[in-house]
Amino acid sequence: MLAFLRKNQVALSSCCCLLLSIYILTAAARGQLKNEPLSALLMWIMRPLQIASQETVNWIKGFQENYDTLAGFRSENERLRKRVQALEVERQKLLEAEATNRRLKELLDFRSHLPDTAITASIIANSASSWFQSCLLNKGSADGVRKGMAVVTPLGVVGQVVAVTARTAKVILLTDPNSGIDVLVQRTRSRGIVSGSLEDGTVLKYVKRSEDIQEGDRLITSGVDGVFPKGLLAGTVIKVRKQHLGLFQFIEVLPAVRSERVEEVLVVAAESGAEKKP
Amino acid sequence: MRLFLLYFSVGVFLIVLQGTFLRLLPFGPVVPDLVLVLCVYLGLHHPTMGAALGSFLLGYSVDVVSSRLLGLNAFAMSLVFLSVYLSSRSIWIQNPLVTSFVVLLAALVKGAALVLLWAVFLSVEGFWLGAARYIIMEALVAALLAPVLFALLRRGQNYVEKFRVAAQ
Repeated sequence: MLAFLRKNQVALSSCCCLLLSIYILTAAARGQLKNEPLSALLMWIMRPLQIASQETVNWIKGFQENYDTLAGFRSENERLRKRVQALEVERQKLLEAEATNRRLKELLDFRSHLPDTAITASIIANSASSWFQSCLLNKGSADGVRKGMAVVTPLGVVGQVVAVTARTAKVILLTDPNSGIDVLVQRTRSRGIVSGSLEDGTVLKYVKRSEDIQEGDRLITSGVDGVFPKGLLAGTVIKVRKQHLGLFQFIEVLPAVRSERVEEVLVVAAESGAEKKP
Repeated sequence: MRLFLLYFSVGVFLIVLQGTFLRLLPFGPVVPDLVLVLCVYLGLHHPTMGAALGSFLLGYSVDVVSSRLLGLNAFAMSLVFLSVYLSSRSIWIQNPLVTSFVVLLAALVKGAALVLLWAVFLSVEGFWLGAARYIIMEALVAALLAPVLFALLRRGQNYVEKFRVAAQ
């Protein structure tokens, strides 16, 4: 008997534990297991460990939450930054559209003062050479543009069409040395020719020494060349120099239109119908 | 006695871990049952009366800290220990895969025992489906972690035995 017990002591002790468990379960289910000391002892052993562990876990959770919050802020920040960029692009587009709208409106108003044949065009390219001051328009002979037509904006004279293809037109600008526009000094009605020059910029040529020309005088198209409508601003006098010798004065002019800032222009037919060289 | 104390301390530590740190693992509501793995280890490598009592005590400790009814886990752990002990003569564990398999079976035994006791002592409606899901998930997680815990326990055991030999 003793040998049997010794041989099967583990199994028997396990069975005892099982029976004890059943007893405890039954007693607990009946509510008879109150204030039992083993539970209190085990709790007493585990409590400090659990508190310490839970503190650590709470710290880890807090750290994780902080990290998550920070990551959330970061992603939110990134999202908002992209949103701001998108809005900035949109704003730029709107500003650009507004500016274009304003320019076109001015052009439209200006067009009402011009002959009905005026053609609206956009500048699609500027001169590829520093020797020439010219630009290309997106309208050509197919649109009614002809060689010799005047190119203007509400601000003033831009230049003159010198070559035309079906869909493009080349314009020689007022500032080109090869250009020449008949103008009047608005204040004194003195006549001259505005032209570009390689060394001195835009100048007013052929004004007699005796003429009273002052800085700030406005130069307007005379209309006698049959190319430009009368009264368009060509430029403003910025420098007057009377040389000791010679018949004419040297007059430097600031063009009314800075071609590099122009996007839309009006192409106006010559009033006389003649195609003239600039 | 030293080994008993060692395993009991480890068991208490594992219970504390299960209630705190292991809750952070991404296993959803399932907590890895490391105490079960310890009981399996004891049944396989320390089939003594002390180990049987230890399994009971560990189960009871789990009951104390988490069970609604005392004795549920004590019974389940004792049953696991007994099952493993009775089958240990025909099991020769030499690789982690077999370890995992044994722990998986033991977890299923424990789950079945808990379900049975639950049905008898705590009748809850709609319990079976949820229980089945929990049993399977818990068994898989325990089986997954078993080789690691077995290796750590073996190392701890070797350390204690060396210490005992040195003391003698």
